[in-house]
Amino acid sequence: MNLTQQLINGLVLGHAYALIAIGWTVLLGVARLVNFGHGQMYMLGAFMTWFSVSRLGLPYLAAIPVAMMAGVAVGYIMQRVMLRLTLAQDLVSIMIVTLGFGYVLHGAAGLIFGSTGQILETPLSTRDIYWGDLWFTWQDIAIVLVAMAFFAILKYVIDNTGIGRTARMVAEDPPLALLAGIDVKKVYFAVFAFEGAAVALAGALVAPRTPILTSMGFDEVIITFVVVVLGGIGSVTGSYVAGIALGLFTAFFGALVSPAYATAAAFGVLISVLVLRPGGLAAAPGGR
Amino acid sequence: MSAILETHDLVVAYGGNQALAVPHLAVARGELVGVVGANGAGKSTLVNSLLGWSRGRPRITGKVILEGQDISLLPSFARVRKGLLLIPEGKLIFGTMSVAENLASASIGAVPDGRKAYSVEEIYDLFPRLKERRGHLGSQLSGGERQMLGIARALRLGPSALLLDEPSIGLAPRLVATVLQTVRQLADDGLAVLLVEQNVSAAIEVVDRLVLLERGSVIAEGPAATMRDDPRIAEAYLGAHAA
Repeated sequence: MNLTQQLINGLVLGHAYALIAIGWTVLLGVARLVNFGHGQMYMLGAFMTWFSVSRLGLPYLAAIPVAMMAGVAVGYIMQRVMLRLTLAQDLVSIMIVTLGFGYVLHGAAGLIFGSTGQILETPLSTRDIYWGDLWFTWQDIAIVLVAMAFFAILKYVIDNTGIGRTARMVAEDPPLALLAGIDVKKVYFAVFAFEGAAVALAGALVAPRTPILTSMGFDEVIITFVVVVLGGIGSVTGSYVAGIALGLFTAFFGALVSPAYATAAAFGVLISVLVLRPGGLAAAPGGR
Repeated sequence: MSAILETHDLVVAYGGNQALAVPHLAVARGELVGVVGANGAGKSTLVNSLLGWSRGRPRITGKVILEGQDISLLPSFARVRKGLLLIPEGKLIFGTMSVAENLASASIGAVPDGRKAYSVEEIYDLFPRLKERRGHLGSQLSGGERQMLGIARALRLGPSALLLDEPSIGLAPRLVATVLQTVRQLADDGLAVLLVEQNVSAAIEVVDRLVLLERGSVIAEGPAATMRDDPRIAEAYLGAHAA
């Protein structure tokens, strides 16, 4: 086993995980909501990118914003449908509705894009880099760089800008945010739209590494769940660290033990961490 | 004096239970009106309902008029932008933000003529203690400092009318006087202020008029000097004994 190759695989996978999860991190952190249709939104982002490149003839770089806009639209519609549940913070109903929404997206994608798996080849995914006996693609580098830039910008915006302060006010106390003149409903819409755009971006970048299928998304929502909880709910830095940690764990576990049990092992880690640090890796030991 | 804030036939109910019924209440520019009453009299319900705001889910009917404009159908955040500011009881600032961030985040941009949005420097002049503590998190402040910051946040938003819910609660007597004198000063500067207070003896020293609530209804109302001698106030809240 080449340890350095596994390290590279783990870092690429980790940044992909972090990128897939970031929308849910913000959704949970600001609006205290979950979205079990998140994985299917990832699938939709991947298919929209493929469709834009293969059927519309758009360059890959132009296809990414198209996929993100589709993600924004889906996020907005989703929030529109369940606004009443959102305002009531009815988490059980929201879980069921978003899960159902995921299945609707799955069915709609099958209807529109067909059930055949597709390959999305991009100018980056087809260009290999060999460095000694190490191998990776430009697509891998793009995933790492975009994820790093995305997290850095998001962290800056949340900590240092008016938009970020508004998001933090709503996250801390929505009724008190109303008293500061903040339209909390609009913030909820914005957060869902952001989640849609972010997960579509992840789909556009990560999906070219594997065949694109309408059945994908279920693994991704599980990975997202692990990353978000491990990172400490709502913590942007925590999600980034947790994503990379999970990526490295998956790569090394796959190489040393078996890829078949990597997800089960990841949940073993999640359970252990939650027992020892209930707030996730970003929280102080013993709780939030 | 023309009323800045006025309400007509305000009724609040939780489920099928009526919690408040106020036929009419008005606060003029530069006037400080105190609302007093026992626990459960409906004082907080009154100020919260003027803003259509509650952590519960009451049914609110009636008219709320701010500077001649009916704002009854506006959501809470829009009423705030119109200049009706509430400093609630309990949690009134953002604990995860510093004092400076709490002040920076309290801004809705330019306010219309006739309303004054205090700058951060003006806030620090009014509350020098907040300047000293500007780097501290809201959760690290004392009760008095939180109250100052709550008022400061409202002033940053350019109020035309200010609603305060029990600002003296949990404060040392010296701080109660300081906070209430600041509220008096704000009214003298031209704000319409409705002050809900359980500390009647302190409130009556600064208010222009007093409204006595009991079981959700106004049972007495008048100038502070007159109300001081009202037996319902004197006996129940000022410690006087009937002859």
